Amino acid sequence: MAMMTFKIHRFNPDDERRGRYVQEYQVDVRKGMTILDCLNEIKWKQDGTLTFRRSCRSGICGSCAMWVNGMNRLACETQAATLGSNRIEIRPMPGYPVVKDLAVSLDPLVRGLMAVKPWLIANGPPPTDQERLQSPEEREKLLGLYECILCGACTSSCPSFWADGDYIGPHAFLKAYRFVADSRDDGAKAHLDACDDKHGLWRCHTIFNCVEACPKDLNPTKAISELKKELVRRKIG
Amino acid sequence: MSYRESVRSGGALLWFFQRVTGVYLAVVLFLHVIMTHVLIRGELSFDQVADRVATPLWKTVDISFLVVALFHGLYGLWIVLDDYIHRDWLRVLLYGGIAIAALVFTTLGILTLLPFQAGG
Ligand code: SF4
Ligand code: FES
Repeated sequence: MAMMTFKIHRFNPDDERRGRYVQEYQVDVRKGMTILDCLNEIKWKQDGTLTFRRSCRSGICGSCAMWVNGMNRLACETQAATLGSNRIEIRPMPGYPVVKDLAVSLDPLVRGLMAVKPWLIANGPPPTDQERLQSPEEREKLLGLYECILCGACTSSCPSFWADGDYIGPHAFLKAYRFVADSRDDGAKAHLDACDDKHGLWRCHTIFNCVEACPKDLNPTKAISELKKELVRRKIG
Repeated sequence: MSYRESVRSGGALLWFFQRVTGVYLAVVLFLHVIMTHVLIRGELSFDQVADRVATPLWKTVDISFLVVALFHGLYGLWIVLDDYIHRDWLRVLLYGGIAIAALVFTTLGILTLLPFQAGG
């Protein structure tokens, strides 16, 4: 049991003139409590106006990503005691427009995602009697690419995205490569062409923030490098 | 929410070239340091360096060094501007500046190197 101070960055769209402000709360943190548990405690017992997004509370839906003590993290996957401090600062994820308090609009993330055509592009129809099959080796190539939960932590942590709100972003590139690497996909050129954009791949300067931010330990930077290499390979033949 | 039309960049070759010139610069820089500061006999003097620079081989190396270093550095600057400068008139101004700098420095460098003679 430890009393912890939560410094929470808030914003109320009905009181825009006030802008963003910081409010402090005290929470009696019991063993094993996550940041999400603490936020629930505040919302349920102290201040019902505090707004944040959550759904699965088990690291699957990606709703609860927020900036906690200097890093984007999933609130439901981060135990308060592991942060090594009794003062915990929470902000909405950087780079996205704030809707209210800790809830941000993920429109820029989805715009980037849709730009890379994040779906299987197949030339022929599927076989009538079975699914489109892959060998175990082909399936293995998708490990580390398909597990993304669309939390947006990676793109929000990227300085290229901060500088250019239209940047397609590491999350979308990881998805693009997930299809380029898929043996069942015939649309590599379409995915790659979409990444070869003014706001695309070449805006990535290998800063690795996305790798650090990803709560699922995925590696968007590596996916971006693979896409760059593939584009160059196609250009110089 | 509307989807964006794709604006193709064709940045692949430039990106690749930036990597290749980076490697080239590292190699030539290493060579330059070795030749000038390690393999030199006696005191490092103008005459010694001049003797070397006057040979056709070193002129070729040095001109390639010049062109590659200018490309690598100025294109790097170009990329940074691309990231952070979004106002059209400012972009035209700064890109113009980079293009002029490239032209001026390449010309100056070549004009200095090509006619260079030892003991002159
Ligand atoms: S790659 Fe990781 S950080 Fe980015 S959206 Fe997917 S799960 Fe979140
Ligand atoms: S609430 Fe679903 S990932 Fe945290």
